[in-house]
Amino acid sequence: MMTTDPNSRLSVQFPGRGEQIDQLLAFLGQPTDSSPPGIFVYGPTATGKTAVIRELFAQYDSTGQQYALVNCIECFTPRLLFERTLNAWAGHTPNVSNKYANYVRCENLVDFINCVRDLLVVASGGQRADTTHYLVLDQAERLRDRGPMLLTSLLRLSELTGANIAVILISNVVWDKFRPRHGGAPDPIPIYFSAYTKSQILDIVAKDCPQDEPQAFFLTFVDAIYEVFHRNCVDLNELRHLVAMLYPKFVQPVFEKQATRNEFARLFKLCQPYFSAASERLYLREISTSEWQKNSAVASAKNDPDDVTLSIYQMAEDAETLDLPYYTKFLLIAAFLASYNPARLDAQYFSRSKGPSKRRKGAKADDALGGKDRQQLLGPKAFAIERMLAIFYSIIAEPVDSSVDVQIQIASLVTLRLLTKASSGDRLDGIKCKCNVSLEAIRAISRSVKFDIDRFLYDFT
Amino acid sequence: MPARKSLSLQKETAVDINKARQLVLGRLCGRVALPELIGLASPLDAVFSLLYRTVSNDEGNSALLIGPRGSGKSSVISKALSLVAEKRKRENITSKYHIVRLSGFIHTNDKIALRDIARQLLIEQDLENILIGSFADAFTYILNLLRVASVEGEYGQPPVLFILEEFDLLAQHPKQSLLYTLFDIAQSQQTPIAVLGVTARIDVMDLLEKRVKSRFSHRQIHVHYMQSLDDFTSIARAALHLPLSDNINNDNNATFSEIYVSRFNSRVDEILATESVAAYIATVFDLGKDVRQLLRAFVLAASHITIEQPLLQLTDAEASIAKEEASAKFQVISTISLLELCLIISMKSLVQGGSSKYNFEMVYNEYKTFMSRHLMAAATGGTMKVYKKPIALKAFEALVELEVVRPVTTAVSAESNAGGGAFSRNDMLAGSTQGARAPKEYRMVQIMLEPGQIVELMANRIDVPMVIRRWAQQ
Repeated sequence: MMTTDPNSRLSVQFPGRGEQIDQLLAFLGQPTDSSPPGIFVYGPTATGKTAVIRELFAQYDSTGQQYALVNCIECFTPRLLFERTLNAWAGHTPNVSNKYANYVRCENLVDFINCVRDLLVVASGGQRADTTHYLVLDQAERLRDRGPMLLTSLLRLSELTGANIAVILISNVVWDKFRPRHGGAPDPIPIYFSAYTKSQILDIVAKDCPQDEPQAFFLTFVDAIYEVFHRNCVDLNELRHLVAMLYPKFVQPVFEKQATRNEFARLFKLCQPYFSAASERLYLREISTSEWQKNSAVASAKNDPDDVTLSIYQMAEDAETLDLPYYTKFLLIAAFLASYNPARLDAQYFSRSKGPSKRRKGAKADDALGGKDRQQLLGPKAFAIERMLAIFYSIIAEPVDSSVDVQIQIASLVTLRLLTKASSGDRLDGIKCKCNVSLEAIRAISRSVKFDIDRFLYDFT
Repeated sequence: MPARKSLSLQKETAVDINKARQLVLGRLCGRVALPELIGLASPLDAVFSLLYRTVSNDEGNSALLIGPRGSGKSSVISKALSLVAEKRKRENITSKYHIVRLSGFIHTNDKIALRDIARQLLIEQDLENILIGSFADAFTYILNLLRVASVEGEYGQPPVLFILEEFDLLAQHPKQSLLYTLFDIAQSQQTPIAVLGVTARIDVMDLLEKRVKSRFSHRQIHVHYMQSLDDFTSIARAALHLPLSDNINNDNNATFSEIYVSRFNSRVDEILATESVAAYIATVFDLGKDVRQLLRAFVLAASHITIEQPLLQLTDAEASIAKEEASAKFQVISTISLLELCLIISMKSLVQGGSSKYNFEMVYNEYKTFMSRHLMAAATGGTMKVYKKPIALKAFEALVELEVVRPVTTAVSAESNAGGGAFSRNDMLAGSTQGARAPKEYRMVQIMLEPGQIVELMANRIDVPMVIRRWAQQ
């Protein structure tokens, strides 16, 4: 069945995963060997768990009828999971000619077990019962919220059906967090996918090297990015994303004849100003891949660091400012103040007779500020709409004509989820809300209406 | 060296080796029964005689087989069933009997159970219309169909053996009509049936309703864990030893060459006697006595049996033992990024400051105050960067994803629900409105590590700056 040695082939394809591949292949063994009923593949994100297993099975079983690969996020009900599994084992593909019907309709566990038994034991005259069949469950941690019995039964599948079935769970959560309370699930055999070491990461990213670029040069760049980046994120996929986005910018000076490939330090210096700005924004996906590719060419061609930084900021800026009507912005500010300031200080802050600054000093003397349970850290608290309106009328400079509009605006703020209702939905009176906007956003809004919000915030740092 | 010796083995032993590998793996994975049941003679006897009396004398019987997980209940039953079949074969009795197996794991309500009973009794009739009536009616109807089917026999109805696994879960069905009907029939002799409940719960009798309990025979068969370590070790030996060619008539008709068997078995004894393996067996014995856990350690070694390497390898066994003993949680979190580590330490210092729960804002505030204090004191600061809030939030979410940090749920509802933790985790990630309404920065969480473990976490890392180390040890 295996003509060339799959172990060495896979090990080349997946650097640093030799031990895990070796173990998996040992457990797979010959097609008719008994396999352990449960194998638990775990490890941090982006360590090749799914990729290795997918590739391994693609090579191990060319017919594709011995294994079913099911993603538990995709198959969000047990029924989907069962039917997908049976489709795979039966070699059935829903398509036009069978009107996208599944191999069999399978509502619950008993049906599933009976179908499996029919398929593997009865229909094939016992021939397939000895051949190991695999059920690979990706993102297996989601199985825990599909009813208490599902996971247990799946791990006992081979016992319950009498067929030779191995269930492989893939997850980044450890098995301790899976173990059901009733204790009926047999512990699966663990296979740990460790995080990659630096040299392994470089080996892997080296495969991403563009064809017409010298690899050593590319790797020096990756090395530098890694050194900066691994302190806040060890996710390989994120690193590859960053490298793919930033590398074209890095080599650009070479093509523009501003530097040569040997002047590594100089190249770095040339792109330093916008790397620090861009990498953060790319990492947080504030700039999408396509936006970056479209706009960064313009940005770097100017080669004036300040302009570049500015243009990078502009790329992401649009999303941040909320485009709201003038009064609505004040409403939102009022809601923010009502959410974070204590009600007892409202009179000091907002009463018209006395200026707020003088009162604020007094307030500071009373309380110990900067404590660990200040409202800024605890998050917004619910406030009565009337209180928000009072603050609104107090902070807005000119008198507002129509109170109807204000009510409509409140409703639309709730719809926009900038305010969330804290009281039950059917109450019309005494509605309570929370403000759902961050301090940065509210500062931007205040700036746009020329309102100095910092004067009114209590106990913020 | 075993590898070199194997070259001297004959060609035909390749077949042997393959067979040996399959046999041992099958035993370790629970697909092939162990050749002998060690220390289970008395429960086996009790179960066998109970089942046999129903099959041969048409007695109605009911009993509970109680024993902790991994103590051999299922093995006892399958052995007893095969003994029944064997004995009848020997005595040349051909009358039919049926076996129905139910499990509390999959038969989650009585309707499903009833349908499956009918299916297992090979009744093809459409059951939809009979399920409208009461459970007992439908059930007797099904049993009567059996009577019709076997009318030519001298017995009115063929005996049915009901094996109810996870009996305690079946007892949690509303009204317990399945159990009531089964016990009622077993007691009233309408049909010869044996009901054998299997459970790990010792208080299972308390789960039964009064009317169910009064129909039960109150016969309990207990399976105990091994009493002595020697017996426990001999289970491993029984699972790993190859049979000698004369006494394996019923064992996959596998025959092995005597040289290979003796070499294989002596290697097994050698491995079992090794200090590290013996220590592992003793640990398993002391902690839980679970046979499955014991056998798991040898799966890797058994799957590495090849023609080049026909015997078990000690290194494989030791490697899987090391894996069993390693703390998975530590493995996963030992490679988190420095920023994530800093957040964990911030949480530790919050815990030490007396807060039992905290949100991201508090953690970040803690992190920022520490960093600014440190940067001011050291004034060098080049290596340490204070990350912005969104980046820290992303790192924080990675911790939530690893379930190192867990959202604090409104305690009571989560307690009762087994999947409660998973639900709240999804809430946390998806920002759904269920449960926590606050923005994700403000949702209260708890760290799932002890302060001591956090310090330990630092010890194994080389890339942690001295300041952070000192901070963690405060």
